[in-house]
Amino acid sequence: MKKILALLLTMGLTLSLTACGGGTKDSGNDAKEPAAGGEEAGGEEAGGEETGGEEAGGEEAGGEETGGEEAGGEETGGGEASSELNIYMWQQYISDELIANFEKENNCKVNLSYMSDNADAITKLTAGGGDEYDLIMTCDAYMESLVAGGYVEKINFDNIPNASNINESYWTAKEYCVPYLMNYIYVVYDKEKCPIEITSYNDLIKPELKGQISTIDGARNLFPIALIALGYDPNSTEESEIAEAYEWLVKFNENVVAYGNAEQNLTNGTASVALTFDGNASWAMAEMGEDNTLAVADFKDDAVQLGFDLYVIPVGAKHTDLAEKFLNYICDPQVMASNLEEYPYSCPNEAAVEAASDTYKNDPARNFSYKENVFFQEDVGEALTIYNDYYQKLKVGE
Amino acid sequence: MAVSKVQKKKKAFSILGSVYAVIIYAILYIPVAVMMLFSFNDQRYNYYWNGFTTKWYGKLFENSALIGSLWYSLIIAVLATLISVFIGTIGALGLKRFEFKGRKFINNMLYIPIIVPEIVLAVALLIIFLNIGTALGMGTILIGHCTFCIPYAIVTIKGRISGDDNSLEEASMDLGANRIQTFIRVTLPSIMPGVMSAAFLSFTLSIDDVVMSNMLAGAKQSTLPVLILSMNKAGVTPDVNALTTIMILVIVAAMILNNVIKAALKKRQNKEVAI
Amino acid sequence: MSKKLDDNSDLKQIGKKRDVKRKTLPALAMAGPVSLWMILFVTIPMLFIIYISFMSRGVFGDVVYKFSGESYRTLMDATYFKVILKSLRVAVFTTVLCLLVGYPFAYYIARKPKETAAKLIMLIMIPFWTNSLMRLNSWLLVFQTNGPVNSFLQWTGMTDGPITFVYTDGLVVLGMITNMLPFAVLPMYSSIEKLNKSFLEASADLGANGATTFRKITLPLTFPGIFSSIILVFIPTLGIYTVSDMLGGGKVLYIGNIIKNQFGAIRNWPLGAALSVLLIVITMLLIFLYTRFASIEDMEVV
Repeated sequence: MKKILALLLTMGLTLSLTACGGGTKDSGNDAKEPAAGGEEAGGEEAGGEETGGEEAGGEEAGGEETGGEEAGGEETGGGEASSELNIYMWQQYISDELIANFEKENNCKVNLSYMSDNADAITKLTAGGGDEYDLIMTCDAYMESLVAGGYVEKINFDNIPNASNINESYWTAKEYCVPYLMNYIYVVYDKEKCPIEITSYNDLIKPELKGQISTIDGARNLFPIALIALGYDPNSTEESEIAEAYEWLVKFNENVVAYGNAEQNLTNGTASVALTFDGNASWAMAEMGEDNTLAVADFKDDAVQLGFDLYVIPVGAKHTDLAEKFLNYICDPQVMASNLEEYPYSCPNEAAVEAASDTYKNDPARNFSYKENVFFQEDVGEALTIYNDYYQKLKVGE
Repeated sequence: MAVSKVQKKKKAFSILGSVYAVIIYAILYIPVAVMMLFSFNDQRYNYYWNGFTTKWYGKLFENSALIGSLWYSLIIAVLATLISVFIGTIGALGLKRFEFKGRKFINNMLYIPIIVPEIVLAVALLIIFLNIGTALGMGTILIGHCTFCIPYAIVTIKGRISGDDNSLEEASMDLGANRIQTFIRVTLPSIMPGVMSAAFLSFTLSIDDVVMSNMLAGAKQSTLPVLILSMNKAGVTPDVNALTTIMILVIVAAMILNNVIKAALKKRQNKEVAI
Repeated sequence: MSKKLDDNSDLKQIGKKRDVKRKTLPALAMAGPVSLWMILFVTIPMLFIIYISFMSRGVFGDVVYKFSGESYRTLMDATYFKVILKSLRVAVFTTVLCLLVGYPFAYYIARKPKETAAKLIMLIMIPFWTNSLMRLNSWLLVFQTNGPVNSFLQWTGMTDGPITFVYTDGLVVLGMITNMLPFAVLPMYSSIEKLNKSFLEASADLGANGATTFRKITLPLTFPGIFSSIILVFIPTLGIYTVSDMLGGGKVLYIGNIIKNQFGAIRNWPLGAALSVLLIVITMLLIFLYTRFASIEDMEVV
C-alpha cells in the first residue's frame, strides 16, 4: 500500500515540476485517493474522485457564498424560499451588477454558467439534463419543438407582473418563455471601402463584393436570406425552393471572406460588408468611434430576420420560485434600462427602452427604417434535414 | 586532420540544430507572446492594437468567475493527469507484458477516444450519467477527461516500452526483489521519459479541453476553456489575456526558482564533499 | 526411472499452474484498471452510440427508439464521401508536416543531457497550457489586414497594399502545425532518447556515414515512436474543426463539423452516431492496413 503511494508521489513529482502554486498542493492531497481506489475496481476509483472533486468545488463555492451572505445579511430573506438559482445562458450578455443586486435583494446565490452555442442548451435539454438548471436561455426558433417535446415548464405569469412591459406582438409561445433581448440580422457595410451601395440581399451576390463579406453562419440563418432574395417564404419547406436558395448561396459563398467574427473583420478592415446581428454592428461602430464609416444598409423591400433570446424554465427545475422572481426582476423597466447601458442590444421591453439613456436610443446600429419589416425563424420540422443537406453541400463544395 | 574535419562537421550540425530549435520555439511562442502583449491592449475586445493600458489587470481581480474557473481547470487537470498516468503506466505495461483474453479488444478500445470526435463520446457519456442519476460536476468532467487522456498516456508510454526486453527486470527479481520493488527500482526509471511525456500530454489535453467539459459540467462551475469558448462569439475580453499572462509568468518564475534552488543545493553538496 | 519421469512432468504441470497463477494477479492488477475504465466509459457509451445510429430522428430532434436504417442510407450521399476525403487529405498533410518538422526537433532535444532535455520538453508544452482558441486568434491578430506583418511589409516597401493572409489555407496549415506539434514530438522524443548511443558509434566506426546510420539504424529503431506520433497526430486531426473554423474563416466543413452539427443545431443524433461509426470503421481500417503495410508484427503496437 505504502509503496503504491510512494509510486504515486514519484509521479506526482513530475507534476510538481510542472504545476505551479496550488497545483502542487493538490497533487499532494489527492495522490491518496487513486491509491485508495487502486485496490478496488477502476470504476470505484472514479467514484472516490468524484466526492473528492465535490469537496474541492464545494470549498470554493462556499467561500463565495459566505461573501454573498455578508452582502445580503441585512435583508430579511423570505422564509423557505430557495437560496440558489442556476442559470445557463450566453456569456457577456447580462450585467454583473444586475446579478449582484438580485442576489442582495433575495439573499441568494446566482450560479451562471455559459453556453457557446444555442445548440449547447438544446443538446443538454434533449439529453435530459434540464433539471440541472432553473433558467435556460434559448431562442424563439427552438420554442416550438421544446414545448412539443415537453422539455420546458409553463410559466406562472401571476408571479411576473412586470412581464406586461414586453411588447406582445413579437412574443411567441407566450406561456412558456420570457423574452430577454432581441437581435436583428441585417447588413452593415463600410461606406468608404465597399465598392457598391447595398439595398437588398441580391446586392450581396454581385461579383464586385468578392471576398468582402463577413457573415453569420448556420443553415437556418443563411437559407432564409436566400429564400427572401428569391421571393419565397423564408421558412419554406419546399425542397425545390431550398434547392434554388442553395444555388443563390453558392454565389453568395464566393463573396464571403469568413463566417463569424464580423466585428473583428469590420474594424480591422478584412471585410467591408457584414451580415450580422445589430448588437455586433453596434460594438463595431462604437469601436470605430469618431471615424465610423459603417452604416446599416438601407433595405427597401427585403425583410430582415428578428430573433429573440429568451428564458425558459426547464422541466424538473428545482428553484422555480426564485426563477420567477428573477424573470420579474429583469422585466423591471429601470433594471433592464441600466442593463441596456452595458449591453446595448435591441430589447422587446418597451418600458425599459423608454427609460434608457439617449446614447442607447440614438445608437446608429439600431437607427434603420425597416424595423417592422421582419420575419422569424420558425420550426421547419422534417425539412430541417433538407436544409442541412444543402448547407453541407454548400460548404463542402467540390 | 580527419578528426578536426569530423569535429567541424559536428559543430556545424549542432549550430544548425540550435538554430532550427530556436525557430520552432519561436513559432510556438509567437501566439503566446501576442496574447500577453494584448493583455495591455486598450480595447473592449481584442480586434487590433489600440494603445497601452493596465486596466485589464484591475478588471481581472474583480472578475472572480474567471479566476475561479482557472482554479477549477487546474484542479481537474492535475487530478486527471494523476489518474491517467497511474492507470496508463501500469496499463501500458500490463497490456504489453501479459497475454490475456480480451487484450486485443482493450487495445482497440484505446483507439476509440482518439478517433471519435469528442462531442460523440461526450454526448454518450452525458446521456449515461444522466440516466444513472449522476450529478454533473467535477466528477463527471474528470471521468470524461481521463477517458481521453488514458489512451494518449498509454500510446506514449508504450512507444517507450516496445523493444525493451525484460532481462533487467528478471535479473532484479532473481536477486530477490519483489514485483513492486522491481517496478519502482527498475521498470519505472527505464520508462520514465515516456511516463513524463504522458503526464505532460494528459495535463495539456485536460487543461485545454472544451468539448467534454462543456457537456459534462454542472450548473455551478465551468472550466476556463469553456468560459473562453462562450466568450468567443462576442469576443474574448483582454482580462482573459491578463489571466493567461499571469499564469505564464508564474510558471516561468517557478521554473527559474526551481533551477536556482537546485543549483544552490548542488553547490552546498559540493562544498560538503570538499570539506 | 519411469516414476521419476512422471514426477517430473507433474512438477512441470505444477510449475505451469503456478506460473499462470503468478501471472494472473499482476496481469489483473496492471491491465485491470485500464480495461475496466475502457469498458465502462468507452465500450458502453460506444455501444449506445451504435444503438442510436440505428434509431430514427423524431420531429422535434429527439431520438425515437424505433429501428431504422435511414441514417446509414443517408451516408451513401456523395457529400459525405467528399467530406471524408477532404478530412483525410488535411489529416495526412498535417501528419506529414508535423513528422518532418517534429523529428529533427525531437532528435535535437533527445541528444541533449537529460536535465536539459526535460526543460526543453517543458518549454514545448507551456504554450499549450494556454487556451487554444486564444492562440489561434493570436495568429489572426498577427496576420490581419492592419496587423504587424502587413504593416512591416508595407513599411519596408515590399508591398503596396495589405496582403490577405487571414482566412487562407496557409494560415490553416500554420495553425494545424502549431496545434499538433507536441503530439508528434513527445512520442518521438521518448523513443529517440532511449536509442543506444553505442549503436550509432558502432555504425560510424564501421564506416557508415551519417545518412546511412540514420537510415539503417536510427530510423528503424525509433519506429515505435514515429508510429505513436502518427497515431496521435493523424487520428485527432481527422476530427478537428476549430482550426479551419477560426483561421480558415469557416468556409469548409470537415467531418468533425458535420458530426458536431448533428448533435447540436441540426439535432439528428442518429445520423451523427452513424457518421461516428463510419469514422471509426474507416480509421480502424486505415490503422489495420497501415500496420500490415509497414509490416509491424503486432497490430497492438498501440
